Amino acid sequence: MAQIPSLDNAPLNLKSIREKSQRELVNLLKDIRGSKCLVIDPKLSGSVSLIIQTSALKELGLELRHLSAEPVLTECTKVVYLVRSQLSFMKFIASHIQNDISKAIQRDYYVYFVPRRSVACEKILEQEKVHDLVTVKEFPLYMVPLDEDVISFELELSEKDCLVDGDVSSLWHVAKAIHELEFSFGVISKVRAKGKASVRVADILNRMQVEEPVSSNDVARPEVDALILLDREVDMVTPMCSQLTYEGLIDEFLHISNGAVEVDSAVMGAQQEGKKMKVPLNSSDKLFKETRDLNFEVVVQVLRQKATTMKEDYTEINSTQTVSELKDFVKKLNSLPEMTRHIHLAQHLTTFTSKQSFLSKLDMEQTLVEAESYDICFEYIEEMIHKQEPLTNVLRLLVLFSVTNSGLPKKQFDYIRTELLHSYGFEHVIALNNLEKAGLLKKQEFKSNWQTVKRTLKLIVEDTDTSRPEDIAYVYSGYAPLSIRLIQQAIHSGWRPIEDILKLLPGPHLETKRSGFPSSPLIDSLHGASNGVADGRRSIVLVVFIGGVTFAEISALRYLASKEGMAYDLIIATTKIVNGATLIETFMEKLG
Amino acid sequence: MANVSVAAEWQLLYNRYYRKPEIYQMRWKHVDLSRNKVACASFGGPIAVIRDDSKIVQLYAESALRKLRIFNSAGVLLSETIWKHPGGRLIGMSWSDDQTLICIVQDGTIYRYNIHAELMEPNVSMGKECFEQNVVECVFWGNGVVCLTEGGELFCISDFKTMKPYKLADVPGLIEDDMLQPTCLAVREPQYTMSGNVEVLVGVGEEIFVVDEDEAQSIRFDEPSVEDSEMQNDDYGNLIGAVQKMIVSPNGKFLTLFTHDSRVVVVGMESKKIAIDYSCESALPPQQMAWCGMDSVLLYWDEDLLMVGPLGDPVHYFYDEPVILIPECDGVRILSNTSLEFLQRVPDSTESIFKIGSTSPAALLYDALDHFDRRSAKADENLRLIRSSLSEAVESCIDAAGHEFNVTRQRALLRAASYGQAFSSNFQRDRVQETCRTLRVLNAVRDPDIGIPLSIQQYKLLTAMVLISRLINAHSHLLALRISEYLGMNKEVVIMHWACAKITASPSTPEAHLLEILLDKLQLCRGISYAAVATHADNCGRRKLAAMLVEHEPRSTKQVPLLLSIGEEDTALVKATESGDTDLVYLVIFHIWQKRPPLEFFAMIQGRVLARDLFVAYARCHKHEFLKDFFLSTGQIHEVAFLLWKESWEMGKNPMASKGSPLHGPRIKLIEKASNLFSQTKEHTFESKAAEEHAKLLRIQHELEVSTKQAIFVDSSINDTIRTCIVLRNNRAAAKVKSEFKVSDKRWYWLKAFALATIKDWDALEKFSKEKRPPTGFRPFVEACIDADEKAEALKYIPKLSDLVERGEAYARIGMAKEAADAAAQANDGGELLERFRKTFSQNAIFDTLKMPFQGVS
Repeated sequence: MAQIPSLDNAPLNLKSIREKSQRELVNLLKDIRGSKCLVIDPKLSGSVSLIIQTSALKELGLELRHLSAEPVLTECTKVVYLVRSQLSFMKFIASHIQNDISKAIQRDYYVYFVPRRSVACEKILEQEKVHDLVTVKEFPLYMVPLDEDVISFELELSEKDCLVDGDVSSLWHVAKAIHELEFSFGVISKVRAKGKASVRVADILNRMQVEEPVSSNDVARPEVDALILLDREVDMVTPMCSQLTYEGLIDEFLHISNGAVEVDSAVMGAQQEGKKMKVPLNSSDKLFKETRDLNFEVVVQVLRQKATTMKEDYTEINSTQTVSELKDFVKKLNSLPEMTRHIHLAQHLTTFTSKQSFLSKLDMEQTLVEAESYDICFEYIEEMIHKQEPLTNVLRLLVLFSVTNSGLPKKQFDYIRTELLHSYGFEHVIALNNLEKAGLLKKQEFKSNWQTVKRTLKLIVEDTDTSRPEDIAYVYSGYAPLSIRLIQQAIHSGWRPIEDILKLLPGPHLETKRSGFPSSPLIDSLHGASNGVADGRRSIVLVVFIGGVTFAEISALRYLASKEGMAYDLIIATTKIVNGATLIETFMEKLG
Repeated sequence: MANVSVAAEWQLLYNRYYRKPEIYQMRWKHVDLSRNKVACASFGGPIAVIRDDSKIVQLYAESALRKLRIFNSAGVLLSETIWKHPGGRLIGMSWSDDQTLICIVQDGTIYRYNIHAELMEPNVSMGKECFEQNVVECVFWGNGVVCLTEGGELFCISDFKTMKPYKLADVPGLIEDDMLQPTCLAVREPQYTMSGNVEVLVGVGEEIFVVDEDEAQSIRFDEPSVEDSEMQNDDYGNLIGAVQKMIVSPNGKFLTLFTHDSRVVVVGMESKKIAIDYSCESALPPQQMAWCGMDSVLLYWDEDLLMVGPLGDPVHYFYDEPVILIPECDGVRILSNTSLEFLQRVPDSTESIFKIGSTSPAALLYDALDHFDRRSAKADENLRLIRSSLSEAVESCIDAAGHEFNVTRQRALLRAASYGQAFSSNFQRDRVQETCRTLRVLNAVRDPDIGIPLSIQQYKLLTAMVLISRLINAHSHLLALRISEYLGMNKEVVIMHWACAKITASPSTPEAHLLEILLDKLQLCRGISYAAVATHADNCGRRKLAAMLVEHEPRSTKQVPLLLSIGEEDTALVKATESGDTDLVYLVIFHIWQKRPPLEFFAMIQGRVLARDLFVAYARCHKHEFLKDFFLSTGQIHEVAFLLWKESWEMGKNPMASKGSPLHGPRIKLIEKASNLFSQTKEHTFESKAAEEHAKLLRIQHELEVSTKQAIFVDSSINDTIRTCIVLRNNRAAAKVKSEFKVSDKRWYWLKAFALATIKDWDALEKFSKEKRPPTGFRPFVEACIDADEKAEALKYIPKLSDLVERGEAYARIGMAKEAADAAAQANDGGELLERFRKTFSQNAIFDTLKMPFQGVS
């Protein structure tokens, strides 16, 4: 199975977007004749692997390298840098070129910026006196389809850049990407946004429509009806909790990157020890499609059930007489690789989930979210530090603690920070400072309103039956993600009924209608189930998370979309797929 | 019959009919062509008139100052200006392809005027030699000119856009002999020559030279053919002999010569074949010669215009006033003091309809319409006659209508066409429409007030686009706009030009009012570039108006750079910020950064959050020292402190600085400086203290490395330092670090228990547990033992756990299910714990049983 998802069943024609990017990249590379060395920044190479197969790139006569501080070792006289427009990469490129010059190696250099050239980056090249030596071009890759219903803008630093550095470049990128989608699928008429970044994106999007309008002639009829934008900042609670869906758990423990997870081949039952292997995870895998969104407890049961049936079939085979019976059996065998793959994965996961420490952490998360026993939580975190559990785990709970309490009292704030610095090293003062700037770990200044939010939006759902869920809360075994509750509201009734609650959460909110189509055939509101199915096609709502979304949240949205009475297909777009750990890591700078 | 009168005006030259309809009665008064130098632009362009200073003329009631006047083709004055240029006589004057009037005076200076008689700076000189020798003659073509000096040298400008003069090769004999002067000059345009460079034909004595930049070659057109061989004893050079006048045909393929013995000779330039050879009565060379299309040659002497064709007798036209011949691609316009005529060969379609006695299908169709209008049944009869060739007839009527200048006749022909079309099934119906559309445009520009008498052929050659740009150049913006609307072309060019012209033309209109006028029109065209209009306003010195206009530019990528170029840096920053495009903000930042002194720059961005943050992000990556200056100047001391602190790690990374080298001194100093800076603000006492501790830690670690002779301490955390000490069994040092940093008892117990477990010093661990009642309970001991996988040791401490649930869990972890269950049973939590144990113990077993059956298969 390929790591690039098939996208055949996507509600939007995401395949065309992928193919366009593919073509653009191939054409850009073909423009340079002869053999060449493609130096690609490592994160981008992950994104590109979802666009085009590495083998296809190699067919273009490329040597592939990852960009790093080390000089590029190649025989090629043409070096192509494919990089995102990040300032730090420019120094690498400049030093490579200067290194070549000092060794009197003559080469042609090309810098292809993704998604577009940037004044600041080129300024650095200029100041390093190499700008004249490079040919600058753009590869406008604004988004990558991750799966049939998920698009990523591949901006993993968006949240940190916005909250800590005030660098909102990613917001323009997001708006641009949505605008690109509009060029393909029509102007999205209804917009609902919550959070500073989201409202800004909606604003930039409107500007873009004025500057570079998508005219009604370009697209027959808009395919996407509504756009819901949500800042990660609005709900920092959810990503800090451990995801309990199958896919979410895999991500928590094994980290899914670019639609695949890397594990020891021994885990997957292969004979060679110590070798790593990549397991692709997307909906081209039917069994995974069926199980990815389920609570892990249920997945184990489902797998057991399926295995048992198969086992029965297997024993029956001895008594099978007719050819057609044999055929049926062979057909069933086709799903065998999928079965074994997931049984192996699931078993590997249980080695983590059955641990006492994991269970007690889950307990603690629940307690933190309920936010009713302050001291227990504080002591638990204190002890984590004393045990020197991994820093990201500590910070994750600490952020959860701080966010639900709207900060820590000064004395405890200073105490816990001192303990952290003493235990893990003073270099982490930068991370603490970043988290403080972002408001994720701070001194308490006013009383928390988390209780009100939690109660009004019914975030804690008692007695969730994970096997027959009746609410999105199943993804966190009892906690309904705040973000998804908000989106649920936005889809069903708009912001108005919950304005009071929205005011308690960070950032402004916005609800507008955009023109572009003089007479939209659709009814104004998002209410009701009847209006969406005008021509046998379900209407589409594009949900955009600025700052990242977790797999569990995606699962919750898929659950919503599959529920009866839902008139919409949901497409989820995000700056990056995140979890608590990856999110915390962006705030930690490498020092020392 | 009406048709007869049409053909009655035609003249027959051999078998071809020519017609010469009058297009305009000239609107001008008191213009005598004979007193003036006149330059007429082709394609129905403007006419420039200036009193000829090479002739002695009597002044009537007029100023002695000469006036350059520009008229349209109908004699309507477009503009005028007084000519008072130095440099001697005006030698040549002609319109270029882009309708610039090029005037060359004796000393070789070129003055250029636009159609509004505005001098276009700068004036260009043909060069030093021209200045010294004087220009005596110029020959122009659409995009260039060749000048002949008194000294017999040739100079050329082959592109009016670049205006770069260069010298052509010398013609043999001309330079050496002062008395020898060329008898005539002609030019083959670059587009028609083999080399792609201009070629000048110079008649000197009995020879003709072809001159280009590199050489002058003599050519002969009269080499004897085989039949002429008996004339060999004659000097064949005398066949043509000295040439008095020559012109090149519009396609550059033929040359018309007027020889010393009054013959008009047309020869092919390449084939050298003589196409026409006609002896005229007049011995004097004609004043003007011109090609009429590609079919015949016109020669003009006073009051006599002679048209010579390849065969047959020439046609004479008589004029009682001076005329000027204006060659066009499909004929010649004849300008006199009172009228403008267009002499052309009668188009085939027109001929077939109007020729006397014509029975062509088109003529019958035209006739049929006439009958139809008079309700005569003969209409039907005519149609029957031409049934088989109806579409051909319709086509001819349409074509003839297109060639017609007379609107009534256009209409009649088109009606005939559409009448015929009604009976014809297989005819492309949009042909009528298309011709109507073209004719509307032509009739509109032929209006005397506009005065561009284009024929349909000229229009097609010129293209609508160029016509529109000529109209807007002449400031006929409204008509240009209407035409572009009517033809469905982009209006942007017209409106843009109008706006710019409007700005230039209204220097005294107040900004706000002018802006209103401009916006009113600019809004007509979506996506028009306000930035471009604003740039023009700025160039006209109306910076304020430019600023107001650029406000309306929706594309920030165009707006922001312009704002920067007109010095509106503040607005540029605001607009860039609003756009959300950080790249634009960077553009503005770098612009200001470069232009302003640092302090001013800092002050400017300090107030703008996004600009400041982006600058900081950039400077963090690339300009550390400058960033410090910024933070200092804006009072953000703690940021400077953070920068210094970060630098201390950079220093640590440097391999020279590692492990006990003297470089630790500066590193610690840096951290202490950071600590000091932090302490200057109340909000950062925590950081200040942390930095202080960090410096202290580094010192202690340094000492430890010296005393233990092991480079393993620097840059580890306090906990790790203590742990290392315990592992090295240096308890005193561990205790010292503990007390130095006031490590809490709780942390101390966890830390020490785990450290002892790593070195498996179980005795020490036990002793430690008995020192006093542990503030953390016995959990650290249990966990440390379980982590080290020492069940026996763990069992020493598990029973001491006070919490029953904890105790049960601990038992479970070391696999003692029964004890775990016992403890769980005692723990009063409703059996929840017990249930969980059951699950965990059973779960792992599930998978193993599941995998079993498939192992053979997969």
